[in-house]
Amino acid sequence: MIGATGSTLWLLRNEMRLGWRDMLGKRGAMRGYIIVGVLLLAAGTAGVGLGFALRHVQIPVNPLSVILSLAVMTAVFTLMLSQTLAAATQALYARGDLDLLFSSPIGPAKVLTVRFAAIALNVFTGFAMLIGPVLIPVAVVGHWRWLGAILVLAALALAASASGLLLAMALFKVLGPRRTRTVAQIMAAVIGSMFFLAAQARNILGGARAGGLWLDVVKFAMEPRHVPPPAAAWPLRAMLGEPLPLAVLLIAAVGLFMLANLWLGRRFASDAAAASGAETASVSGSGSPASFATGAFAATVAKELRLLRRDAALLSQVLLRVLYMIPVSFVLLQRAGTQQNWLLPGGAAALALMAGQVAGSLTWITVSAEDAPDLLACAPTPLRTLSRAKLTAALTPVALLLAIPLLALMVINPQVGLAAAAGSAAATLASGWINVWYQKPGKRADFRRRRGSSWFVSLMQALVTMLIAAATGAAAAPWPWTPFALIPAVLAAFVLLLLRRTDAQIAEALRAAA
Amino acid sequence: MTEALIVRGLRKVYQKPAVDNLDLTVHSGELYALLGPNGAGKTTTLRMVAGLLKPDAGTISVFGVDALADPAAAKQQIAWAPDEPMLYDRLTPMEYLEFVAGLWGVDARTARARAEELLKWLGLWDQRGQRCESFSRGMKQKAALAGALIHEPRLLILDEPLTGLDAAVARQVKDLLQQRVRGGATVILTTHILEVAERMADRIGIIQNGKLLAEGTLAELRTTAGEQQGTLEDIFLDLTGEAETLPA
Repeated sequence: MIGATGSTLWLLRNEMRLGWRDMLGKRGAMRGYIIVGVLLLAAGTAGVGLGFALRHVQIPVNPLSVILSLAVMTAVFTLMLSQTLAAATQALYARGDLDLLFSSPIGPAKVLTVRFAAIALNVFTGFAMLIGPVLIPVAVVGHWRWLGAILVLAALALAASASGLLLAMALFKVLGPRRTRTVAQIMAAVIGSMFFLAAQARNILGGARAGGLWLDVVKFAMEPRHVPPPAAAWPLRAMLGEPLPLAVLLIAAVGLFMLANLWLGRRFASDAAAASGAETASVSGSGSPASFATGAFAATVAKELRLLRRDAALLSQVLLRVLYMIPVSFVLLQRAGTQQNWLLPGGAAALALMAGQVAGSLTWITVSAEDAPDLLACAPTPLRTLSRAKLTAALTPVALLLAIPLLALMVINPQVGLAAAAGSAAATLASGWINVWYQKPGKRADFRRRRGSSWFVSLMQALVTMLIAAATGAAAAPWPWTPFALIPAVLAAFVLLLLRRTDAQIAEALRAAA
Repeated sequence: MTEALIVRGLRKVYQKPAVDNLDLTVHSGELYALLGPNGAGKTTTLRMVAGLLKPDAGTISVFGVDALADPAAAKQQIAWAPDEPMLYDRLTPMEYLEFVAGLWGVDARTARARAEELLKWLGLWDQRGQRCESFSRGMKQKAALAGALIHEPRLLILDEPLTGLDAAVARQVKDLLQQRVRGGATVILTTHILEVAERMADRIGIIQNGKLLAEGTLAELRTTAGEQQGTLEDIFLDLTGEAETLPA
């Protein structure tokens, strides 16, 4: 046992355990440990090889390396911030847990410190597990000072946690508890994808110059007028294990974390209580429909669209995928009118693939997440009507999202546009139907913890959407490649036929699951 | 008299029989209380009647409709209200009622008028724009009850409808049920609060180990149990043999 019962360490251990189990999901600890163990072993083996290769390599401290190290640190920090922001709102909303903790003799200050520390530690662990298995063998083989990078990572985790919590509290103050959760989750998604978007800025904005971001950075760094100030080199020096910069960075991060802890400590309990109050008293905007929908189909579509709109966690997940679609759409639209090259069919295929993925996520939660399955089961409405209504509700947002880029594409380049539209529609419907056929009922709240549908459904969905994407790419490609679209299209149809379940089979599976 | 529910030879086996060759008849327009110790098979029986569980054997007839042969027609006449309200936390009561009315095919205009009437009657009208997640248990129970009544069912089945409700809400629910019975509906409820059954029910059925031990009015049950002055609690404990398990 780590720490005496009720001590900070003991509480931290509990927090870490919960965080770890959240990460592993319901598959069970043993399976998770095995997967993680295998991955760590593979990364470690690669790290040993890399260590020997880099044994005599020294990283110079020059403008280029300084700028690159700062860019990497900023990227890591923003990714960490997106995680800590989401975790901070979760900390405010994990009510059952907080009620238990606040009703115990453990002081609120200790609860706060532990919760803050757990957020930082969980974020640090995630990143450390990514770079540690490679970095540690490299350090052991020849560059022990490079272990400083792990400490820099810890400093970044502390700073990101403090920033995430400050941001969450500020949002809480400005927007109120309910909107904070939604906005924070969307912000987390946007921040998380920021670097991907930044890297694609040239494609989105349509820059005229050739070359990628990397060349721009090198060019920028090589210009004599862009000599970074000496302090800018400290993060790199810290990563390379120089004691003074490392100590300064760690002290600054710990200081920021402690200050945030002290400053927010007084507010935390009251904000958490306010969040609890919001769960039991707040009023939503337009909760009274002007006119009722007629019939089971229309009423179910209306209900599912409302539930989708009000699911902040789902919205952030979908937003993330949509953000990744933006560069692809821009590339397609730019090149469609000017030149015919392999980027066009590739882009059309990517669009179909991502449309299928977004549709899969939405259908999965719309069809399987059902808070009142008994209500549906005791209603005289056939399962077929309910499934189709849910599918319609799930696919409507995808259709709306794709409508404008696809229409524009069809006007600029009809062949590519039609191929992309047909491919996206097919991928969307295929993903939707797979999720209808293999629905796994559960409470909506439980779905926040689950990252995706079952491995079988995920695998089949990936297979079918990839086949459809390949067909889309071939259909968008110039002659003589176009007819080759038939091969993956027929294969996809064949897989779908094999997967297909009748309404009776779905009903039987649902009964068995209940 | 038209029978609202006729159950014959109903059987459901899990590891052991949960419902064992059960016969039950509920008359139209009566309030019938189905009582029994925990695990007696009350909920399993009612879930089979509501079409949520498939029986292993037996027949179920709802107002003359074979519920197993034509479940949709039977369901059209039934409302099922379990002890855990079947609600969507992120919907408002009005949105919830819109959905439930849609499931039972109630015309939109009629549904809206009924929703308004029910919410006003149940004291939820001021909260019609709030999401159900912000409701207390009593409010949730009332919203679910409104959902059960929106299609004006002929047979209302309630499993422990008063669990966790405060005195005022419980009174409101009881009044509503009695009002519905006066209006011609049939109500079947299970409850562990025997005083409720004693005061409200026209007839009472006592079930144990999936079998009907006794059935009838309170007076008939007294005769069966041989306790002419006994309360329903005395009769229940006596018939189920649970009196013997109580400390002296």
